[in-house]
Amino acid sequence: MRLSSRDRRFSLSLVAPSIFLLLLVGVFPLVYLLVVSFQGITMTELDTSFQGLRNFRMLFDDERLWQSLLHTVIFTAIALPLELVLGLAMAQLFIDKLPGRPVFVALLVLPVVVSPIVAGATWSLMFDQRFGPINEVISWMLGGETTILWTIKPDLVYPAILLAEIWQWTPFMFLLLLAALSAVDKSQLEAAAIDGAGWWRTFFRIVLPAIWPVMAIAILIRALDLFRLFDIVWALTKGGPGTMTETISIFAYVKGFQQFETSYTAAVALMIIVLLSVVVMAALKRVELTR
Amino acid sequence: MRSATRHRIKLALRLAAASAITLFFVFPIYWLFMISFKTADEIYSYPPTWWPGQIQFNSYAVLFKDGDATTVWNSFVVASASTVIAMFLGTLCAYAIARFRTGGDHLANWIISQRMVPPIAVVFPIFLLYVWLKLVDTYIGLILLYTAFNLPYVIWMMRGYILDIPRALEESALVDGCTRWQVLWKVVFPMCRAGLFATAIFTFVFAWNDFIFALVLTRTEVTTYTVQVTHYFGGQSNFWAKISAMSVLGTVPIFIIVGFMQRYLVRGMSLGAIKG
Amino acid sequence: MADLKITDLHKYYGSTHVVKGVDLEIPAGEFTVLVGQSGCGKSTLLRTIAGLEDANQGSIEIGGQRVNDLPPRDRDIAMVFQNYALYPYMTVFENIAFGLRARRTPRAGIEPKVQRAARMLAIDHLLERFPRQLSGGQLQRVAIGRAVVRNARLYLFDEPLSNLDAQLRDEMRGEIKRLHQDLGKTMIYVTHDQIEAMTMADRIVLLRDGRIEQQGAPLELYERPATRYVAGFLGSPAMNFVPASLTAAGNALVVRTRDGTELALPPTRAETMAAHAGRPVVLGVRPEHMSRGGAGEARAGIVRHTVTIDLLQPTGARTYATFRLGDAPVVAELQAHDVSQPGERIELAFDMNRVVLIDPDSELVIAG
Repeated sequence: MRLSSRDRRFSLSLVAPSIFLLLLVGVFPLVYLLVVSFQGITMTELDTSFQGLRNFRMLFDDERLWQSLLHTVIFTAIALPLELVLGLAMAQLFIDKLPGRPVFVALLVLPVVVSPIVAGATWSLMFDQRFGPINEVISWMLGGETTILWTIKPDLVYPAILLAEIWQWTPFMFLLLLAALSAVDKSQLEAAAIDGAGWWRTFFRIVLPAIWPVMAIAILIRALDLFRLFDIVWALTKGGPGTMTETISIFAYVKGFQQFETSYTAAVALMIIVLLSVVVMAALKRVELTR
Repeated sequence: MRSATRHRIKLALRLAAASAITLFFVFPIYWLFMISFKTADEIYSYPPTWWPGQIQFNSYAVLFKDGDATTVWNSFVVASASTVIAMFLGTLCAYAIARFRTGGDHLANWIISQRMVPPIAVVFPIFLLYVWLKLVDTYIGLILLYTAFNLPYVIWMMRGYILDIPRALEESALVDGCTRWQVLWKVVFPMCRAGLFATAIFTFVFAWNDFIFALVLTRTEVTTYTVQVTHYFGGQSNFWAKISAMSVLGTVPIFIIVGFMQRYLVRGMSLGAIKG
Repeated sequence: MADLKITDLHKYYGSTHVVKGVDLEIPAGEFTVLVGQSGCGKSTLLRTIAGLEDANQGSIEIGGQRVNDLPPRDRDIAMVFQNYALYPYMTVFENIAFGLRARRTPRAGIEPKVQRAARMLAIDHLLERFPRQLSGGQLQRVAIGRAVVRNARLYLFDEPLSNLDAQLRDEMRGEIKRLHQDLGKTMIYVTHDQIEAMTMADRIVLLRDGRIEQQGAPLELYERPATRYVAGFLGSPAMNFVPASLTAAGNALVVRTRDGTELALPPTRAETMAAHAGRPVVLGVRPEHMSRGGAGEARAGIVRHTVTIDLLQPTGARTYATFRLGDAPVVAELQAHDVSQPGERIELAFDMNRVVLIDPDSELVIAG
């Protein structure tokens, strides 16, 4: 579009303040990380001399880093499909006329808007070995006092964290997919019914393609959130026991703010940004966000 | 007749399933709230009771007496200040992008990709910058970061709402004698009032609910409620009364706000992909 | 003096050339209609005049002043938009007063002006309502009121009636024309509807593919189209086009269609067109150029020919009868009871004084 010079001046003056702030948090950190990651700053010494790729080479040998990345991937790979499938199932349940639907929906919104740290705190109340309701219900079912250490026992921490995570974000999927399902063209469904298509066929041939754009965006948003998973894990296990549930975000936090490995953390942060940028670029190409 | 019965049974089953599911999602919140009304003795009694024997507000009284409750005020100050600034700057930017296609698709895409950067990667260099600028543990520091972090969201959402305004409304105002600025104030802002409101609420909630930025950038002066909640965690013995009361203080405002804007929820959460 | 003068105007959207060199002069007080198919550049031309789009080349002068670099607000224009462009959060009164307020008209002057405009459009009882409480026709009146209340030099209308149903459209057409007579202002009106153009215009400017195809008074364009495009665009039902050739037969000149039908031109036309003898032509005949044979007298240029009707479309007063003439379907506008059923053979009188002949290569109408 051709703009007159006065319109161009006007439009540039509108974007300038925002761009300035975005550069501050978007580009400054990147440049700064790049500089620091080539230095040798740690808690004990303020070594700003050029260290070459030393920090980046350390990345490859850091078992704990790759473990944390693996944990992040595990959380994402389990939570995301479950949230999607459960959310879709719930949306299907609520799509037809149901008495009291607005009330149900209003209540189901609540977990989504709670702060993740509060959600984590809530579930640590739920999981409490002695005073929590979960163990109480299990005791009641097994008919005897049961003490399960949900957030401590290695084979239970993952289910525990995943339960909290799924509890908070399944309603997100549900709300988006419910909206998408209600927007499906009813006359197409009626035409399919007249043509004699069964439920599965209708679902896969008509409903799924119709809601796919929304589904793709929901998946993208949730995948990116899961990749930066921090709060819920922090509230429930702080990455423990040991480093068993440490995500990449928690790892970077521990390195940067508890062990003060400044330069190394910069390298880690850079790696996260690069890794994510690649994923996001690939994803954005497939998802129609820009109208 | 038979089909009517079958229909009724099906409806009853669906209703039962819906109730069970809703119970699962609401119960933890109920538990959180309920704990805050129990006495300490009752919280630490076995087996746990499913409702408070006697409702009392001692847990809250303690928070207010110790001054811990001011962390909610801190959250409010940084969240509302950053929301106001981000809304103002972001809406102007969104207008330019929507109407003049300033920067083309590249700028729009770059802005939305800023939203996707993990906070931990941003907050680390920002922290080092803030140490140097002496902005750690200040209102200004937090407000600035929340503003910048929420800008992409505001720009993205408002761009969508502005694109919904018929162009002719603005053109008509231009012909009728308005300058571009007057068009913004007299036509664009009034036309997307609902969008401004909904986006502001989301922006507010993001800042209000944030944990990681506040964890890194606050110490004692401007601690937000989310950070304060984690202060009560302690190894094996958590301070359940304080955790729950503090969480409730931080959560009730959100519930109230969200209750008012059910209509805009889905559009806001889906980054504008679904129009309500 | 010309109130609006456009010289060699060009407009591009990206690499698309939308307005391709338009020259136009519109005298003060004239009602000009820009008409053409969608995509012909008529709306772009109007928006460029308004200053909502920047011209890439050429000049626009309003009242003798070059306005290319002036923003819309300084061009002394008022505009009515297709979708009304009313502000939903303002009352009708506020909507109409918007332009006056934006121009800082003294408060005391606003009220009487709005009242007068509202009375003129018979919406004075709606002033306290909001747009969502009004019907389509009322909305359009308010939109027009908003333009009328401003004492602008130039009034622009961008397809203002295209959202209304047929009956309202007929009604508003008359009102806008009356408004023009009462105000005596220069008005430019864009439409794709040739009936609107014919009924309202002092002058029609017919655009095609970014250029002016022909301009002039409505009947001038209707009766003496310059090109096949103009001939086919104006009139409903449209002009029939029949491929034929022009053959000399002694002194006379005969239009011979492909099935061998011969329609002789009157002597006066035969003289001027003699140069085209022996060449292919397209016969352009309007539905009303044919009538039921018996009624006609033996005037020069009236040619009788018997046809077989294959389709009838009665409209009440008139009946449209379709038959074939040298491969081409031809619609004739007859009296209601001239023909009773398809398959009937009737004799039609062709008025060869009024038909047009078109050169199939250049698509230009052959003069004479």
